[in-house]
Amino acid sequence: MGIFSRARPLYAVLIAAASGACGSEQHAREPVDTGLLIQQAPPSARGRLSRQDADDVQLRLPPSDEPPGGRHAFYWTRAIYSGYGRRGWWGGGGRGSWATDFPKGDRQFLVVLKRLVRIDAYDFENAISLSDPNLRRFPLIYAVEVGRMDLTDEEVTGLRGFLNAGGMLLVDDFWGGREWAQFEYNIRRVLPGRPIVELPLDHPLFSAYYDIDEIKQVPAQGRGVGGIPTWERPDAQVPHVRGIFDDDGNLMVVINFNTDLGDAWEWAESPYYPLEYSTYAFEIGANMIVYGMSH
Amino acid sequence: MPDLFEFLFKYRRLVYEQGDFVFAAPAVVRWWLLAAVAASAVAVASYSLARGKASPMDRTVMATLRVALLGVLLFSLLQPTLQISTVVPQQNFVGILVDDSRSMQLPDASGAARSDFIRATFTPGESELLEAMAERFSLRFFSFSSRARRIEGPGELTFDGTSTDLPAALDVAREELSGVPLSGLVMLTDGADTRGRPVTEALVPLQAAGVPVFTVGLGEEAVSPDIELGRVEMPRAVLEGSSMVVDVVVTQTGFRQTTVPVIVEDDTGILAEEEVTLGRAGEPVVTRVHFQLDRVGSRRVRFRIPTQDGERVTQNNRRDVWVEVRGEREKILYFEGEPRHEVKFLRRAIQDDDNLQVVVLQRTAPSKFLRLNVDDGDELAGGFPRTREELYRYRGLIVGSAEASFFTHDQLQMIADFVSERGGGFMMVGGRQAFSEGGWAGTPVEEILPVRLGPPPAAADRFLAELRPGLTPAGLANAAIQLGGDAEETDSLWRTLPPVTSVNRITEVKPGATTLIEGHAESLDRPQVLLAHQRYGRGKVLALTAQDTWIWQMHADIPLEDQSHETFWRQLLRWMVDGVPEPVVASVEREQVEPGEPVRLTAEIVDSTYIQVNDAQVTARITSPTGAIQEISLDWTVERDGEYTADFVPTETGDYEVEVSAARDGLTVGTDALALHTARSDDEYFGAGRRSRLLQRIAEETGGQYYTPATVGTLPDDISVTGAGVTLVEDRDLWDMPALFILMFLAMGAEWAYRRVRGLV
Repeated sequence: MGIFSRARPLYAVLIAAASGACGSEQHAREPVDTGLLIQQAPPSARGRLSRQDADDVQLRLPPSDEPPGGRHAFYWTRAIYSGYGRRGWWGGGGRGSWATDFPKGDRQFLVVLKRLVRIDAYDFENAISLSDPNLRRFPLIYAVEVGRMDLTDEEVTGLRGFLNAGGMLLVDDFWGGREWAQFEYNIRRVLPGRPIVELPLDHPLFSAYYDIDEIKQVPAQGRGVGGIPTWERPDAQVPHVRGIFDDDGNLMVVINFNTDLGDAWEWAESPYYPLEYSTYAFEIGANMIVYGMSH
Repeated sequence: MPDLFEFLFKYRRLVYEQGDFVFAAPAVVRWWLLAAVAASAVAVASYSLARGKASPMDRTVMATLRVALLGVLLFSLLQPTLQISTVVPQQNFVGILVDDSRSMQLPDASGAARSDFIRATFTPGESELLEAMAERFSLRFFSFSSRARRIEGPGELTFDGTSTDLPAALDVAREELSGVPLSGLVMLTDGADTRGRPVTEALVPLQAAGVPVFTVGLGEEAVSPDIELGRVEMPRAVLEGSSMVVDVVVTQTGFRQTTVPVIVEDDTGILAEEEVTLGRAGEPVVTRVHFQLDRVGSRRVRFRIPTQDGERVTQNNRRDVWVEVRGEREKILYFEGEPRHEVKFLRRAIQDDDNLQVVVLQRTAPSKFLRLNVDDGDELAGGFPRTREELYRYRGLIVGSAEASFFTHDQLQMIADFVSERGGGFMMVGGRQAFSEGGWAGTPVEEILPVRLGPPPAAADRFLAELRPGLTPAGLANAAIQLGGDAEETDSLWRTLPPVTSVNRITEVKPGATTLIEGHAESLDRPQVLLAHQRYGRGKVLALTAQDTWIWQMHADIPLEDQSHETFWRQLLRWMVDGVPEPVVASVEREQVEPGEPVRLTAEIVDSTYIQVNDAQVTARITSPTGAIQEISLDWTVERDGEYTADFVPTETGDYEVEVSAARDGLTVGTDALALHTARSDDEYFGAGRRSRLLQRIAEETGGQYYTPATVGTLPDDISVTGAGVTLVEDRDLWDMPALFILMFLAMGAEWAYRRVRGLV
């Protein structure tokens, strides 16, 4: 049992976070001290379900004398992948599905993570393409909406190399059989032949920082209150945490299925978002970070 | 030219050195001589005053020659005498010590063995030399090799001893002959001492007793042509699977610039092979061999060079070294102050290594820790160890990015004591809270670090550099950071590794510390110390200033099959805990001895806090090659705290197993095991040339003489005039030495010739 119990006034933390550095995308950055802060320019217009290549994303590396991935021990890194983007309704930017909740969810998660865990983490988001060789400088990456993933061959190669070298991929926010099939198809291209297994609750992931004894379904914003169910599709009522292991039993991929941790992080400051779920999301998020950096 | 000296001056130089010069003429003769001198002065004056056709120059020359002539005559008339002490015939003893080791069988260039000279020159009834000695002295013979003993005569010599102990031979002869008037000891040997004991220990009592030693050096100074595989430096115990870099010293005569292979093999086959190009005659060449030992147990590793055409000695082309390959799991505590990828990748790097157990204690919140690889739920339950017993259970300690203020002063002192007293291995790994940045300057831990720490930098001066690693010469020679099969490959592999980052600016190591890896960056005026080490007290300390060595595993330029990161950490951690002592440490002086040779077994005993204890019950259980079991007690030596010894004599040939256990107040302190091997040794064939300098030194420091077979003929006379024992003073006339008569004739002849040349006759 950790010193931080669930009774800790997390909400106060979140309020502080929301009113501080994380609450607005207009927040002025502190001087950049990493070389791999990646931002995305608006993508070219495409059809709603057309595939959007990550290569289309223009990356901008801010000028810096510091080596990429240099000073800090941890960069919360989001994987940029090709997929069927959700343009039009995310923040008006029309970015690909990889950018769901980005960057607010990332920043908000980092603020709380740094309050909970004694970690030297970079304060801001960090996104990188799966086909970028510099991906290897960030051994823990996060991908969302992987049910809309459609990896290019370069991305498959890049992600495979990343995972086989020892990197870990956390995926989140995809629901139901159809999206599972889409993700499974892509991840099998990356790691052919490796089984996807259910992680039991006695797996060390669930006790790396907090003791988690139940896998909760974390709803998207607007769900889980007022009688609205937490699930998004009828075939997505049961949440899962699954994993893919390497030959030595090391966890390579953590799959949060039928759940949306990212939304909980992004909307944790909202009085309408259930505290139960945001608390759980931060707990399992902290566990994934601590586990992923030590195992 | 001793013969010319003796011809001119009647006696040998040695006699002059030993004797006192006096004039023996009685006083009345001296007065007469004084009158003669006065007359001479008158004569000289008459020369100068006399008128004639001689010039002043002519007179001066002739007067000088005439005075010289008179001077020689005067010198002879004063009866010059040498007073010398000589031994009384047949009232003194001489000990003759004969080397009975195998090296005496080595043939010289003519094919004659060294022992042939002994048989020819020192066999009673067949040797004039020996008869001459026997006429003056009572002779006592001794043989010596690994041990010395009294023998009746050279007929008992076998020349089969497997080692030579010169000091022991001198001690034994001196003690055996201590009750008789001893004129000296004669030592017949090639001087090859294979035990290496300081000879001074044996010379001091001889000097005190005034016993001269006459050494006779046998054999050639250099055996040629020959290749000798000399020194091999190897640890006595290693962890299973550890990489080893062993320096092998090869010397030669007659094979200059020849390239030969150095082969390393054990019972399973060849472990490594390295080509070496030989240097000038007698010049040692060092070659470095890389190999790995895998099977647990006591292993014999043989280093050999194939016999070359024409080699005179083939037995010195190989060396056997015994090494204990340990299969234990070395337990290392890794304390990390915050979640870092370094923890994950270090653990993965060693996860296939059954001999390393890295217990991780990672601080995840100010008072919250993640424990990994602990043996039970109680281990480290209270965080970082607070007692020495708790900390000293580990053999190594790694501290990552954790500020010094996290620890209490007692804990900081305990970390320093962990190295200096317990003998553990310690490493500090770079990070934002390590070294100066973590406030470690001024703490007891700074004292043990191999690098110099400056004051903590201001926030604006925070250092960050991307460093390309490069090995120093010391690093190239260090087994712990070898990535390739040889030095060249290792150097090349290190140069291809991607750069790591460091946030701790460190450029200097302390005196006595060694930099193994430097970090280079264009922006830096001086290279960064990336990895340095030093010994501190009983332990070893490393400083690794990089914060992300995991990049050597993850970087896109590193192929997936590359094992550099794994190899680096496995070897580094193995080296860090190599030789870390346990509560009971048993040892013997040499792992291989002769059957019947006494062995001293030593054990060092400490308690759980590694304080030496003197009241332990220490026993050794010795199992012979045939299974016979013997138990002996080891006693505290009194001279050193915690040291216990016992002697035993292995009589069988083969491998002995020795298990030493210590108990205190009925509780077991610990146990240790070692292997002892009994076999005949080839040591005699190494350094097989004659050691003239050593033999000369023995002779000079005791007042004796050094001889070769060519000069040994004067030995009886020399002992007579230089020896100790019962002596009498003898006067030896010098007036009739040929040199005086020659001088007189020269003076006379010169004057006559001068007169002829100058027309004065």
